[in-house]
Amino acid sequence: MKRVDYIVGYTADDRGRDAVSLAVALARRQGATLNLVMVMPEHSPFNAVYPPERGFESILSAQLQEWLAEGLGLIPDDVTARAHVISADSQAGGLIDAAADSGASLIVIGASSRGLRKRFNVGSVAGTLLHASPVPVALAPQGYRRLDPITRLTCAVGTRAGADAVIAVAVDSAARRGLPLRLVSLVALDPATGTDGGADAAAVEAAHEHANTRLAEAAASLAAGGQVSVEVVEGATVEEAIGALAWDEGEILLVGSSRLAQHSRLFLGATANKILRALTVPMVVVPRSYTFFEDQPSHQERSTATRSEAGEGTDAQPTEVK
Amino acid sequence: MPTKNSPTGLSQKGLSSGSVGLLGAVVIGVSCIAPAYTLTAALGPTVAEVGVQLPAIFLVGFIPMLLVALGYRELNNSMPDAGTSFTWATRAFGPWVGWMGGWGLIAATVIVLSNLAAVAVDFFYLMLAQLTGNESLADLTLNLPLNIVTTLIFVALACWVSYRGMETTKAVQYVLVGFQLIVLGWFAIAAFVHVANGTAFDATAISPDWFNPFAVESFSAFAAGVSLSIFVYWGWDVTLTMNEETKDPERTPGRAATLTVLVIVVIYVTVALATLSFAGVGDGEFGAGNVDNQGSIFAVLAGPVMGPFAILMSLTVLSSSAASLQSTFVSPARTLLSMGHYRALPASYGKISPTYKSPSYATIAAAVAASGFYVVTRVVSENALYDTITALGMMICFYYGITAMACVWYFRTVAFSSTRSFLLKFLAPLLGGVILLVMFVKTATDSMDPEYGSGSSIAGVGLVFILGTGVILLGAVLMLIMYRVNPAFFSGETLRKGSAPAHTEL
Repeated sequence: MKRVDYIVGYTADDRGRDAVSLAVALARRQGATLNLVMVMPEHSPFNAVYPPERGFESILSAQLQEWLAEGLGLIPDDVTARAHVISADSQAGGLIDAAADSGASLIVIGASSRGLRKRFNVGSVAGTLLHASPVPVALAPQGYRRLDPITRLTCAVGTRAGADAVIAVAVDSAARRGLPLRLVSLVALDPATGTDGGADAAAVEAAHEHANTRLAEAAASLAAGGQVSVEVVEGATVEEAIGALAWDEGEILLVGSSRLAQHSRLFLGATANKILRALTVPMVVVPRSYTFFEDQPSHQERSTATRSEAGEGTDAQPTEVK
Repeated sequence: MPTKNSPTGLSQKGLSSGSVGLLGAVVIGVSCIAPAYTLTAALGPTVAEVGVQLPAIFLVGFIPMLLVALGYRELNNSMPDAGTSFTWATRAFGPWVGWMGGWGLIAATVIVLSNLAAVAVDFFYLMLAQLTGNESLADLTLNLPLNIVTTLIFVALACWVSYRGMETTKAVQYVLVGFQLIVLGWFAIAAFVHVANGTAFDATAISPDWFNPFAVESFSAFAAGVSLSIFVYWGWDVTLTMNEETKDPERTPGRAATLTVLVIVVIYVTVALATLSFAGVGDGEFGAGNVDNQGSIFAVLAGPVMGPFAILMSLTVLSSSAASLQSTFVSPARTLLSMGHYRALPASYGKISPTYKSPSYATIAAAVAASGFYVVTRVVSENALYDTITALGMMICFYYGITAMACVWYFRTVAFSSTRSFLLKFLAPLLGGVILLVMFVKTATDSMDPEYGSGSSIAGVGLVFILGTGVILLGAVLMLIMYRVNPAFFSGETLRKGSAPAHTEL
């Protein structure tokens, strides 16, 4: 059986715990191996620390090992897990390196930072990962503690061409895991854009039509026994539309990054932030260019093939999603 | 099969190893010294002590720094530790001296933090005035509450940046250093042009006597001058301790140290000569001997010397102090962290931020201490910058002296095993340590005079004495409290006294 690796961006706080919980929930469906990664910050010699010292790294390193042991302690015995320390100049960069090195198919992190403000926020690490990760990124909402396997997959369906990739990924994942799939079309009726009622109605109509077409395609691609449902939700804003949906406790939301990155890169962060704030279930963001078909070597597969680590015979492993 | 309890390295990339060439190392050395900041802060007080023998003292002051730095490098190679002076002095002389050595290092860095922030604030308002053409803005820094608030904001910002683990990048460092050197060169040339054109404030002819350290009028003045010039070279020794970071660890550190000191000496002596020739040592409006000018000499002289381009001086002092402020935060934080780690301080000091992986409690503690020190000094002193720098010179002599002696004592078993050991582990640190401790004692004794330094005093005792010895006494009191609360460190349970194993001959 081919091995599936997930990278878990672990930090010794509640956010790290959110990530571990979600990783366990996801791994239990697939027998994936969890790689708990802590990033050791690389200090630039040009930062000119004075008076000079050399020992902080060893104290920090011991602390990281201690934290990693605690992190492994959070993982139930039936899930295989390993711990790693990676040196990188940023948390996000370290996780991406780790994913490339291990041929992992998913990076799991806790999404919300809890600073002095009480509101949820996409942390800077999540923000960077959402822009730079070559593999899907799973964001655990604040306080996620569920360890049981996920029960349903929801895929946000857009009307743009780029959205096809995420549907394909969703269909494949649902089929592989035997999970019910729900296709959701979000229609934001933003009065600020000046759309009149007629245009809104047309938009809803188009969304329905689009989702139904997708539904037919998805149903056709799913193996026997797969359940597919479809919903079109409206709201003044994206978060209102998200809020109008009913969620299962063990559900996850799958979105394509192109669906979100409509205007600019920063918009992705802002919208992800909005969705996350309204969302009570984990979200997996699939890169726009991400492909999972075995006959289409993806970026991630190439990095798998060139990695030199450990030679675990996973070079021919097709890219997995979640 | 991987097991859950064996954390392994996934891919340890070679950090920043081998990324620093000779030029890079010199840039790092110069940036640690921060010559624009150092000169504006220390030139005035040094002139006050030694007058026109300023160039001589700048040259002589390098000698004890060199001697001690050689020992520092030996200790750093033999016992790499975040606690540096604290750990080394503990290993050599036991917990009590070690604790005080660590305290001296923390006190010195905390004092320099408060001074850096204050200098940055002065030049911040000066630059606002130069930008807007509204000269009254520069005087805002004289408004006590506003000055204190702005300084505390600067300290807080630097603390936040350091806590978040943000760093100055290579490109920024090159620009900052290049800019400093250009502006200082500009200042010197402009001053000499004024002297040549007869437009200098108090044109004074350069004399060979300026280079004669024996012409300094008294040993007191000499000692004070040397302890100040230890401060002006403070930072230089970073080049010697660079190792794996350099492309050629065999040669780069030594060459970089030599080149850095050449660059710095040339800059210091040129700027010193330019300042003295332009302004003289009298106490006139722009005179370098005027106590009101001595706290921050460039704030006063850049305008008359550089004309409209004085804003470049403000910019370079502001930027280099801000960069130093951020990077200097790292050091006391790590020493505090190390002391917390060895239970020489409450364990909370050993906390590391899970998110940013920086010393969390210790970084904030350093900011609180620097802020507290600044507020006290600013409130009680007529010339806070001046008095802080003098106290800082004393504090550096104190902890460097202890560190040098720790080197001599720790390596006593191998001191006579080779010529190299004898010179680097014994003779150089011994001479350097003795010089610095003598300077420390002499400066401390002299500073009891209420007229010492800027002339601030409390109850007939010089403020510099109160600041310097007060800080050391505070350390001693905290040490005793710590001994009562948690004697583990003091009974040698966490960090053992010892000496270099006789066979480790490097």
